Amino acid sequence: MAERYAISKVNVPEGAAVPELVKMKMEKEEKLAEEKKQALAAKQKAREEERAKLKERTVAYEKEYADTAAELVKLRREAKLNGNFFVEPEAKLIFVVRIAGIMKMSPKPRKVLQLLRLKQLHNGVFLKVNKPILNMLKLVQPYVTYGYPSLKTVRELIYKRGFGKVSKQRIPLSSNDIISDALGKHGIHGMEDIIHEIYTVGPNFKQVSNFLWPFKLSSPKGGFVNKRHGYCEARGGDWGNREELINELLGRMN
Amino acid sequence: MATARPVVSIYNFENPSEKTGTMPMPVVLQSPLRPDLVREVHRDMAKNKRQAYAVKPKAGYDTAAESWCTGRAVARIPRAPGGGTHRAGQAAFGNQARGGGMFNPTTIWRRWHRRVNVTKKRHAVACALAASALPPLVMARGHKINQVAELPLVVSDGIQSLTKTKQAKEALKKLGCGEELQKVIDSKSIRAGQGKARNRRYVKRLGPLVIYNEDNGITRAMRNIPGVECAHVDRLNLLRLAPGGSFGRFVIFTEGAFKKLSDIYGTLKSGAPKKKGYTLPRAAMANADLARIINSTEVQSVLRPKMERYTHGIKRNALKSKELMEELNPGSTERRAVQLKSSQKGTPEYDEVQKKKKARIEESKKYNKEHKKGDETFYKTLMKAFEAKAAADAAKKAAEKADDEEDEE
Repeated sequence: MAERYAISKVNVPEGAAVPELVKMKMEKEEKLAEEKKQALAAKQKAREEERAKLKERTVAYEKEYADTAAELVKLRREAKLNGNFFVEPEAKLIFVVRIAGIMKMSPKPRKVLQLLRLKQLHNGVFLKVNKPILNMLKLVQPYVTYGYPSLKTVRELIYKRGFGKVSKQRIPLSSNDIISDALGKHGIHGMEDIIHEIYTVGPNFKQVSNFLWPFKLSSPKGGFVNKRHGYCEARGGDWGNREELINELLGRMN
Repeated sequence: MATARPVVSIYNFENPSEKTGTMPMPVVLQSPLRPDLVREVHRDMAKNKRQAYAVKPKAGYDTAAESWCTGRAVARIPRAPGGGTHRAGQAAFGNQARGGGMFNPTTIWRRWHRRVNVTKKRHAVACALAASALPPLVMARGHKINQVAELPLVVSDGIQSLTKTKQAKEALKKLGCGEELQKVIDSKSIRAGQGKARNRRYVKRLGPLVIYNEDNGITRAMRNIPGVECAHVDRLNLLRLAPGGSFGRFVIFTEGAFKKLSDIYGTLKSGAPKKKGYTLPRAAMANADLARIINSTEVQSVLRPKMERYTHGIKRNALKSKELMEELNPGSTERRAVQLKSSQKGTPEYDEVQKKKKARIEESKKYNKEHKKGDETFYKTLMKAFEAKAAADAAKKAAEKADDEEDEE
């Protein structure tokens, strides 16, 4: 807290008589300036330590991502080798984007969209895949499109459009301090921690995802196919689950 | 208000450059300044001298007019009866009719006067007196007091015995009111508006108000001097002390009157001897110097230090700004540099990548050699199916051909 003391300098011309109140103020400011200097030094030290740790963690995460990808490849090859079928792991993470506007929404889907924090057109949120979430998505299928984001998509969304909820305000994630202050108690101190928690749907996914303000995406460059119809329909459409192909859409919306 | 009462000099009315004595300032003249109160009380008091006006009660209705109703190709407004004159059949009664009554006729029973609480009136007078002791307020009101020696201006009692206007004018001029009196004379002009036809032809500015204790001729001496007004100290009128609701009238006290102010109003502790149950107004704040209060040690010692505001600045995109990416993802520039190096020939990173690539290709070749030779490769198994079918077809054709040849023979 002492780092944020606002110290005001009083300019006293040479040889001028200093009024009593001004003198008192100057003394007080001097003391505060000293405290501030010490606090800033301590903060700088703590910051350097934090950054070193974050660097280590980031390298570990990158290794983890590479390893899991390599593992999957190995298993696929093994299965083919043995003439077996490799059952791909089910997705753990989905990214949902609201496709429909606000007008003329039935109450039930409207409420579900509110609960999912999709209150505006082209808002997006990360969700964990579990039975309750899937059932909720079933209710709002025609109004959203969703899929399984890749690591690249997750990174880009969070770096480009990542804002955090800090005392109910939408604050840009311009510094790791903001993240550390909000999520430090869950062991999340930086951007890469957030990305890891989201992508691997860790134990603190809920807290991290809730900390992230719903993403406000642009309309896709190149457009939608047809928002009135479902993605899986033959006549071409946009709503519903488009699995891996959400990444293509998000590449155009981010 | 915590300061000691200042002392006011009394000027000799015949020779105003000499002072005949001093007197402490009465507590009235140190009352808190309440322009809002003075304005309010003045507004209401000024209404009390009004004379009623109204239209005649019967105005516009002194006809036996009746509407002709429908069917006669005229508007349905009441019309004057009879015949033989222009007036017959003309519209009457309505505010739109010629000769009809007005809308919402003015009445004499309009509430012309206002009552003001006595205490309020007294507070307003105290306030106005206090304002007249302050040069900036008096100047702001428009009085020319640059030549006046002191405010409040107290003159020896001799002035009360003046009988000749000439003498009175001289006395005032000697006291420094010459500019003020001249201002009044210069300001005489014809009133704008109908008042000029209603016996209020001329307007002029107001000059000094002379407050006396004993009238030994002063009122009659002063009454013909344009702009000058006189008032007895017992009967001070807010409408004179704060004309138009603005306090700060230029007031000249006589010695006796000035002394009597303390007798009439007393102090905050004693109350006003001559006004039953009345005590002078108290200020809402004993110490109104906010800057001093805020900067006092008592207040400052309990405050937490002022903090810098959180500034988040404009959001920058870390994917575009290498600086920001390094800030958010420490070590990313290093890693990126290594990654870039690995595509530059000659660097150890490049060699590393090439080594891995080679190993991968070797691995792949070995695998192929093991598993993709012989008859069990994908292509061979695929073609086997075709070959089988092709062989079957060829056999069938051959059989048919053989039959045909047999038939021919």
